[in-house]
Amino acid sequence: MAALTKEIAFETTPLNGLHLHTMKTDQFKTTTMVVVIEQALSEAYVTKTALLASVLKRATARFPDTRLLREHLDFLYGAIFDVDVAKKGERQILQLYMEVSNEKFLSDQTQLLEQAIQFVGDVLTRPYLENGSFADKYVTAEKESLRKRIESLIDDKMKYANQRVTEEMCKGEPFALMASGRAEDLPGIDGKSLYAYYQELIAKNPIDVFVVGDIDPAQVTQYIQKHIALSRTEGKRIAVGTQTKAVTAPKEVVERLEVSQAKLNIGCRTNISYQDDDYPALIVCNGVLGGFPHSKLFVNVREKASLAYYAVSRLESHKGILMMMSGIDEKNYEKAVSIIKEQVELVRKGEVSQQELAQTKATISNQYRELLDSPRLMIDFTYNGVISGRKRQLEELLEQINAVTVEDIKRAAGKLALDTIYLLRGKGEA
Amino acid sequence: MQATTFDQVQETLYQEKLANGLTVYLVPKRGFSKTYAVFTTKYGSVDSHFKTNKGEEIHVPDGIAHFLEHKMFEKKDRDVFKEFSEYGASYNAFTSFTRTAYLFSCTDNLDKNLNLLLDFVQEPYFSDQSVEKEKGIIGQEITMYDDNPDWKVYMNLLKAMYKEYPINIEIAGTIESISHITKETLYQCYETFYHPANMVLLVVGSFEPEAVMKLVRDNQAKKTFQPAPQIERIFPQEPTALAQQKVEHHLPVGLPKILIGFKEAKTGLTGEALLRREFTTKLLLDILFGSSSPLYQKLYDSGLITDSFDFDYSNEKEFGYSILGGDSPEPEKLVESIQQALTEYGSRGIDQDAFERSKRKKIGHFLRALNSVEFIANQFTSYAFQGTDLFTVLPVLESITREEVEMRMKEHFRTEQMAVSIVRSASSQE
Repeated sequence: MAALTKEIAFETTPLNGLHLHTMKTDQFKTTTMVVVIEQALSEAYVTKTALLASVLKRATARFPDTRLLREHLDFLYGAIFDVDVAKKGERQILQLYMEVSNEKFLSDQTQLLEQAIQFVGDVLTRPYLENGSFADKYVTAEKESLRKRIESLIDDKMKYANQRVTEEMCKGEPFALMASGRAEDLPGIDGKSLYAYYQELIAKNPIDVFVVGDIDPAQVTQYIQKHIALSRTEGKRIAVGTQTKAVTAPKEVVERLEVSQAKLNIGCRTNISYQDDDYPALIVCNGVLGGFPHSKLFVNVREKASLAYYAVSRLESHKGILMMMSGIDEKNYEKAVSIIKEQVELVRKGEVSQQELAQTKATISNQYRELLDSPRLMIDFTYNGVISGRKRQLEELLEQINAVTVEDIKRAAGKLALDTIYLLRGKGEA
Repeated sequence: MQATTFDQVQETLYQEKLANGLTVYLVPKRGFSKTYAVFTTKYGSVDSHFKTNKGEEIHVPDGIAHFLEHKMFEKKDRDVFKEFSEYGASYNAFTSFTRTAYLFSCTDNLDKNLNLLLDFVQEPYFSDQSVEKEKGIIGQEITMYDDNPDWKVYMNLLKAMYKEYPINIEIAGTIESISHITKETLYQCYETFYHPANMVLLVVGSFEPEAVMKLVRDNQAKKTFQPAPQIERIFPQEPTALAQQKVEHHLPVGLPKILIGFKEAKTGLTGEALLRREFTTKLLLDILFGSSSPLYQKLYDSGLITDSFDFDYSNEKEFGYSILGGDSPEPEKLVESIQQALTEYGSRGIDQDAFERSKRKKIGHFLRALNSVEFIANQFTSYAFQGTDLFTVLPVLESITREEVEMRMKEHFRTEQMAVSIVRSASSQE
């Protein structure tokens, strides 16, 4: 018998042109609040959105100095606060994250929740301005900071290889962009242009607010009305192209850098994305191929051939990309590629045992049920439904996953197109 | 089974020491969907010189504790990965300097997963062939770490601080050192360190404590063990002084990475004294270097640090150190600025407001950490091995005074105990 699944049950109400989603639960010792602003991923906005995230968290009208702002957060029993950007398919999202202790665990009965919401309102709607635009000192400093962050991509060779293969694979498509933007755009942005961009974003783009904790939703609504007053109408959801590229033969790219371990990344177009009926089959297909230590890639590349420490596949569900990743000795490149291709071929032919299928479904179901213990992951799950236009309840998705057959996997795998084989290797001769 | 309730954090801890010496702790979490179990032996990479139960003194190859961790998953006639997957668990293992831990999380089939965890760790099976095969896999793991500048800069700092004590040796060893590992040496280590009396089982999450304790008791009662060996670890005498003041290394990075370490001169603390020192030092670090400190903002505004700047304190009976640093375009200048700031703080002392704020922040962060079953399990185990209790953190934190933090500052930040580690690109200028 499968365990009963609780639902990820947010109550959604429109409020001030925002979408408010609340969940009341006494499971956590803190209250979590996430504000998400949706933007199209594009060369025109990507760097501005990333820079805006950094500038917004420097100062507000009430806390014009970063040190004062951080002191206030510490005073709120170490409220966790951050603003960042992320990529969801061909969307870029700007997220404000706030987590604050529930007063009931503190000896001192400070009203933390209202103060936390007020603070989020400060950041979002009452930024620190000088002469009617963002202060140059913060914009200049954050431009420099962002440039360093973009350049430090190279530090983590796994992330670097993943970004490089994505760029090669999606040349000319928005998805090639990094969420943190492009260093070359930075000189063209100043406090004035960034402020104009901010005003437009906050007036027009869709904004979703999530609150999870031992809360009274009516009270949260009241706090938001009071502290996050925006004069706007509900933003229209961003329509992104579900542009797919027909792949004829996989492209091979080799790059050299001073590395000891070569990184092999193979990108596939899945031609299936979050909103599609075949999405549950794709999840299981990815799981059988490389999601887990019982999966084909791990068993064959690592356990049998002893070529790698990691050999996995990961899905990007909104764009519809399946990425296979491994760290190998460069002299084993051809051997590894051939084993990996062979595994994809096996899945395509439907050579998946009932045991593999059962194991994969059990581990995937478990992963989804584990979301229930993380406010952040529950918010992310719900938001994926919101932006894709296909809202699946957790139980519904688990049922769909459970119903997937080998035939379904075959069908999903049949749509996979090997696009780019990328190798990051050392500079030595070989 | 003994139950202790901690009112302020609303958690109850159940514990029992079984007849075979195994200590079991259970922490039920109301409202949670998943359960996380971790089975840990007090045996890590530093334990490479010891007396076997036959009284023979031996040196084993560096990296063997980690190698053993990998090989525990190999069985003669069963596949541990597949069984865990069958029961829908996520599973893993890790080796640190002083511990080896085997763990899973699940939302279903807790009984089966828990029996599997206990059984696979208590039924070693090593063969010559599988030991050889693992050398390729771990070889790639070692190479992966060699390319990781964050890991490199950290390990090099430990090497600079510690001349003799084996935390200056890579946890996974080297490709050369693991080449000497045989199934015989693995069995020797297993027999010495995997006796139930040297292990702790911790289960946190969604379950009935009585039923889980009974399952563990029954599982253990079916097995026979030799009498617990008297474990005699042999450690070299570590001098108070550093091994080296500065270590540099080249790897391709966006910005140089720098870590500064302060090595504790005094070791040997356990129990509450150790916990108190840990939190006094953590408060101190936060007051001086936290994002709301004047120093942090000054360094950030001058571009000497980025938001990667971080700090931490580690403290066990045999060693202790604080570490601070991150990416910096001018590592040497950063060291100078920090030394200068420490001198100024030394004469000026710690501000009462900053102290209070930092304390509130630490209290809030501790409450937040209790949302995570993984944090509770791993941190509790680590503390238990040091004779400390995770659930006493709040009262200890609350009782720390400003004067203690000031004393700690004078005692801890000594120039002669300060080491520096830098990783930069080969091409960047000195």
